[in-house]
Amino acid sequence: MSATPSPVIELVHASRTYLGGSAEEVRALREIDLRIAAGEFVSVEGPSGCGKTTLLNLIGLLDSPTSGDVRWDRRPVGTLSDRERARLRLTGVGFIFQRFYLLPTLTARENVELPMRALGVGRAERTRRASALLAEVGLSGRERAFPHQLSGGEEQRVAVARALANRPGVLLADEPTGELDTGHTRAILDLIERVRAARDATLLVVTHNPEVAARARRHLTMRDGAVVHDVSGA
Amino acid sequence: MRGFGRSGSLRHSRLQFVLAVAAIGAAVALPVVLISVGGGVSAHELANLQNAGYQIVVSASGLHGISDAHALSDRILSLASVTAASPVLSIAIDAVAPDGTLSPVLAEGVIPGEFLPTLGPSESGLFPHPLPLGDPADTVHYADGRYNGPATYDVLVSTPYASADHLSVGDRLLLSPSTNVSLGTEYNVTGVFGVPPAILGPTGAFAILLPLSDLQVMTGFAGGSSATVADAADTIQVAVTGAVADDPSALSGVRSAVQNLVPYYSVSSLSQEAQQLQSASAVLTGFYLALSSVGLTVGLLFLALVLLRRVEANRRSIGIRRALGLPGRSIAAGIAAEGLGISLAGALAGLLGGYLLVESLARWATAAVQEAAQLAVFDPLILAELVAGVAGLSLLASALATRAALRLEISEALR
Repeated sequence: MSATPSPVIELVHASRTYLGGSAEEVRALREIDLRIAAGEFVSVEGPSGCGKTTLLNLIGLLDSPTSGDVRWDRRPVGTLSDRERARLRLTGVGFIFQRFYLLPTLTARENVELPMRALGVGRAERTRRASALLAEVGLSGRERAFPHQLSGGEEQRVAVARALANRPGVLLADEPTGELDTGHTRAILDLIERVRAARDATLLVVTHNPEVAARARRHLTMRDGAVVHDVSGA
Repeated sequence: MRGFGRSGSLRHSRLQFVLAVAAIGAAVALPVVLISVGGGVSAHELANLQNAGYQIVVSASGLHGISDAHALSDRILSLASVTAASPVLSIAIDAVAPDGTLSPVLAEGVIPGEFLPTLGPSESGLFPHPLPLGDPADTVHYADGRYNGPATYDVLVSTPYASADHLSVGDRLLLSPSTNVSLGTEYNVTGVFGVPPAILGPTGAFAILLPLSDLQVMTGFAGGSSATVADAADTIQVAVTGAVADDPSALSGVRSAVQNLVPYYSVSSLSQEAQQLQSASAVLTGFYLALSSVGLTVGLLFLALVLLRRVEANRRSIGIRRALGLPGRSIAAGIAAEGLGISLAGALAGLLGGYLLVESLARWATAAVQEAAQLAVFDPLILAELVAGVAGLSLLASALATRAALRLEISEALR
C-alpha cells in the first residue's frame, strides 16, 4: 500500500451553522477562506467554542459546510456523498482525537488494523503493518492489550498508529495531548512530527498547548468562527 | 457482536436480548406446534387413505345415506376390474355387557365377505379371516330385497372394548339403538378385532362389527314402510384390481363407470381425496404461518427497537468507525449480524420450545390432544423455511437500525 499524496486543502467562503438548543442558529464558522499547502504543519489555536474543531471536521470531511466549499487539490469535496467522503477519509485522512477514541472491544493491534481491514488489506499484511506501526510508536509487546489495559499515553500512541495505518496524506489532531502529562505530551509530539516528516503529510493540530503550537510552521488563531490571525514561521 | 460496542448498561442490554429472544421464540413456537401437529394428523390421514384396501368411495349426503345398498353393491361388483364392493353403515348405539355395564359403541354394519377385501394391509391383520359373522354374503337374513330370513345375531367386538367390559368370545351382548334396553337384541360375541394404534375420535376404540342387515333392522334403516329408506348404508367402498389401482386413467374409468350407475350419489377416488386432503393441509399450513406472522411481526418490531436502542447506546463507537471512514456496509453488517444473532437465537429457542410443548401435549394433555400430538411430524424443510423467514425479517428490522446508525451526525456522535 503506497502513501496517499498530501492534497492542497482550500476552504472557500466556508460557513457552518448549527441549530442551537432553542432553535437559534449558531454560526460555528463564518465564511472562512483558507489555503493549506501540501505537507504543511499548521496549528489552530483559540478559545473554546471559537470553531477550531468545526474547522477540523470540515477539512477532515466529518462535516459539510452549510455554505461555501472545501476543496482538495481544487476538487470540491464538501458536498460529496456520504460514501465518497467516507472513502476519502479512509484513504486520505488520519484522525488523532483528544480522547483517543479507541474501540474498547478491540485489542491495540485490532484497533490499528481496523482502517486497513476496511480497505481490504489481507490479514497477514494487516497484522504485519499493525505490528510495525505499534513498534514505531513504542508499543511492541502490547499488541494484544485492550484499551482499558493501557495507560493514557499508550492509548494515544495506539491512536497515532491507527491514524497512520492507511498512510494518509492529511493528519488531523484535535487536542492530541490534552489528556497527557508533560512527559507523554513531548513523546507524542515527537512521534507525530517524526512520522509527518517521514511521510511529508499535511498536519493540522488544534491545541491550547503553547508547546504543541510552537512546533508548527504556521499558526492560525480563531475567534467567533473566523480566522483572525494567520502567521507563518516558527 | 464483537466490535459493535458495549451497551451502557450490561444488565439492561442482557435483559433486552433475553426479551427479544423470548418474543421471537414465542412467535416461532406457535407455528412449530400448529404445523407439526396439523401436518402430522394430515399425514396420518393421508397414510390411511393411501394404505386403504379400496380405491373408490360412493357416498351420499343427508340422513338416509345410500339406499338399496345390497343391490347396488352387486351391480358395482359386476363391473369389470372391481374386486369388492362393501357397503358400510356406521351408527352409534348402546351395548350392555353380561355384567350389566352399558357402553356407547360405534357399530359398523358390513357384508362380511365384501368387507375384508376392502381393508388395507395394516388393517387386514387386525381382523379374523374369514369374519366369523355367520353369513358371508349377508343374504340369508336379507333375501330377495326383504328382511325375512334368519338373522345370525353374531357380533365382533374391538379389543379395547372387550378389555374394558370384560367381554370374550361366547359372551352374550345386548345391543340397543337407544338407552332403552328393552328395545335391545341379544347377540353372540363370535370374535374380536384390533384397532390401529392411533385412531382419532372419541368412539373409535369402542367399536363393534355386525352384519349390515342386522344393524339396518336394529336401527330402522331397513325397508318395511314407505316412511323409511330401504337397505341404507353410509358409503360403499369399492376395491379394484391391482393393475387398475396403479393406473390413474384406468381408475378414473372405473370411477366413471360407478358414477354412471349412481348419478345421484357422490363417487370419488381415494387419490382425489388424498389430493384434497393435501390441498387442505397446505391451506392450513399457510393459515398457521399467517397467524404466527402476527406474533412474529411483534417479535421483530421488538427486535428493531432493541437494535435501535443499541445504536443509541453505541453511538460513539459507530461515530468512531464512521470517522475512520469505514464504509456504511461494514456498520450495516455489524448491526445485521447482531439482529441475525438475536433472531436466530429466538428461532432456535422457538423450535426447541415448540418441540418440548408438543412432547408435553403428547404425554400430559387430554386424550384427543394427546393422540394428535403423538402424530406430530417435524418437517425439517418447513422448520428451515421458518427459520429462514425469521432471519429474512430480522434483516428488515436491522435495516431500520442501520438507517439510524448511518444518519448519525459523526461530529455529534463523537462529542
